[in-house]
Amino acid sequence: MSSPRVGIYGFTGCAGDQLMILNCEDRLIDLFGAVDILSFAMAKSDNKDEELDVAFVEGSISTEEQLEHLKNIRSRAKVLVAIGTCACWGGPQAMKLEEGGFEKRYKGVYGDAKIAVSKALEAQPVDAFVKVELKIPGCPIDKTEFLSAVSKIVAGRHPYFYKFPVCTECKWKENLCILLEGKFCAGPLTKAGCGAVCPSHNIPCVGCWGPTDDLNVGAEYKLLIEKGYSPEEVTRKITKFSGAEVAKLMKGLELKDMEAKK
Amino acid sequence: MKTLEVVPLARVEGDGGITVTLDGKKVKSVTLDVHEGPRLIEQLVKGMTPEDDINVVPRICAICTLSHKYAAIRGLEKALAIDPPEKAQLMRDLMMLGENVESNSLHTFLLALPDFLGYPSAIAMLNDYGDDVKRALRLKKFGNYVMEVTSGRIVHGENPGLGGFGKYPSKKQLSDISLRSKELLPDAVRAVELFSSIEYSEYSEVDTTFMSVNAPNEQFGLAGDSILISNGNETSADDYKKLTSERVVPHSFAKRSKFNERPFTVGANARMINMGKRLDGQAADLFKENYSDRWLRNPLLNNLAQTIEIVWALEHMPETTEKIAALDDPARAEATRTTGSGTGAVEAPRGILYHHYEVKEGLIEVADIITPTAQNLDDIEVHLKACAERMLAEGKKDEELLLPLEMIARAYDPCISCATHLVNLKRV
Repeated sequence: MSSPRVGIYGFTGCAGDQLMILNCEDRLIDLFGAVDILSFAMAKSDNKDEELDVAFVEGSISTEEQLEHLKNIRSRAKVLVAIGTCACWGGPQAMKLEEGGFEKRYKGVYGDAKIAVSKALEAQPVDAFVKVELKIPGCPIDKTEFLSAVSKIVAGRHPYFYKFPVCTECKWKENLCILLEGKFCAGPLTKAGCGAVCPSHNIPCVGCWGPTDDLNVGAEYKLLIEKGYSPEEVTRKITKFSGAEVAKLMKGLELKDMEAKK
Repeated sequence: MKTLEVVPLARVEGDGGITVTLDGKKVKSVTLDVHEGPRLIEQLVKGMTPEDDINVVPRICAICTLSHKYAAIRGLEKALAIDPPEKAQLMRDLMMLGENVESNSLHTFLLALPDFLGYPSAIAMLNDYGDDVKRALRLKKFGNYVMEVTSGRIVHGENPGLGGFGKYPSKKQLSDISLRSKELLPDAVRAVELFSSIEYSEYSEVDTTFMSVNAPNEQFGLAGDSILISNGNETSADDYKKLTSERVVPHSFAKRSKFNERPFTVGANARMINMGKRLDGQAADLFKENYSDRWLRNPLLNNLAQTIEIVWALEHMPETTEKIAALDDPARAEATRTTGSGTGAVEAPRGILYHHYEVKEGLIEVADIITPTAQNLDDIEVHLKACAERMLAEGKKDEELLLPLEMIARAYDPCISCATHLVNLKRV
């Protein structure tokens, strides 16, 4: 059997997920040996645009040129895997997707200057444009989760990711609950997989892994309001990384609150 | 008219390309195009608290994540008049040393070296240069380890914060860093030997100006409140706008910088040119052996400068970790005001990174981030053009130009994700 044909691509983001693949260091050599990497522009020069078994895509889509490239990758790939928060949920650059105002922010940065490279779009996750078979969460992705997912994918099996929030991992580590200390923590809303790294450093979870599967925004929102945070502050904090997705849920909540007040 | 294109520019961080427009034997223009999409981060952090900002801005770039975090911390601590404890300062020095080792070893061995030795990637070098690739991976892994211990994670660690750290490393972790930095020194020295044995082509040589921070206490270092210019001048980092005067160009989502209407260079070579005399230990000897006035003209020597810097960074880890271990864990320093402004300047591996903030009643009103690659883009184009013109004048074929041009762009270790995220300052 020939090695699975793989492409690794990066769009708008920090390149941290591709960097984490390079960060596999001593296992990188094994990885390059187990699969046939046809394209990985961040790591090598002789890249080919051919049919792929698996395409790994990092980053959100924020220009028309990128959108065309993404569609082209999709048309060549049997399986498309979104890697990292930007590809999965849009990332910080999509935090105001639900709120509008992109034109104004764009002008705030580039003024009226004409940029001929490509037309800019407000950043959106990959699955806003093409079908995505699998999402590997993380900001950036975790080496162990990535390597284990790759070995399952090449063996034709479905990888497993935690379906519960950071709080579960935090309990495993026997950390004191940061919310109980009266500090804002995005742990209950955020997908596990990072090993509750921030709470383990006495720092509240910032929500960078994206929304957890059994997301209960309502309960967290209510809890934080009870703790004295304003609705604007809560929205701002919990939309930092997976804004577009969480903001949709938040929007419904705020409306419900307003109706209840009436 | 003929156009030569290198798209994508491989083995760099982010999405870019080079376009060379030729008219007969003349080079009409050479542009480093930035295709990386815009993110408008500085507009998005408006209205955030400083604590939220320092979670978001490191996401501008994974390779310079701690530089972004530290530049933001420096700018915001000035804005809020926070005086960090000594142990926190030393931890910041250590995390920057780790990032420097990680990024410099990734760039020199894995991204730049394949060109000089004629391979498409470091993986392709494994059969012939297996020991050197493994050496690079060891150094890179160690740099990552230092970043993990200090910041909490290899990439985008949240442990460094305003006024201090969430958690300080154990004595065992610190002594482990010290021990391993000593063990890896021969690998770093080998890197310098490798890069000093390379014949660097002269095609791209053009005299230019170099800028770096002025590290305190007459030491070589990666952060400072004033900026050294290779013409002998020094300016406060608060004058960053004058130093970088930005503009938008049609072929790039990254802005451009000029100083006194002329392009300039930032990076390891600039640091060595401005602060090389302050080096100590083996790094000082290696610098003296290898430095010449060619460094002032030839961007390819940035690779060599980066390898000497790895030696410097490793040599300074034992002392830094010992100092950290000797101090008790301090409480975080608190903000003493809620309104103010401040500029933080640090040396990311690829050059000076500025974060300027204006905070009003606890919320960010203005954020202005100027990245090293954006500062370098104009000078990269100058050196690309010089190279293309000289090679054509010597009768080289068009296709022969491509690799040398790529190598020049790559020598600056461009971080294209970073470069697209700078934003000019708009007062509200």
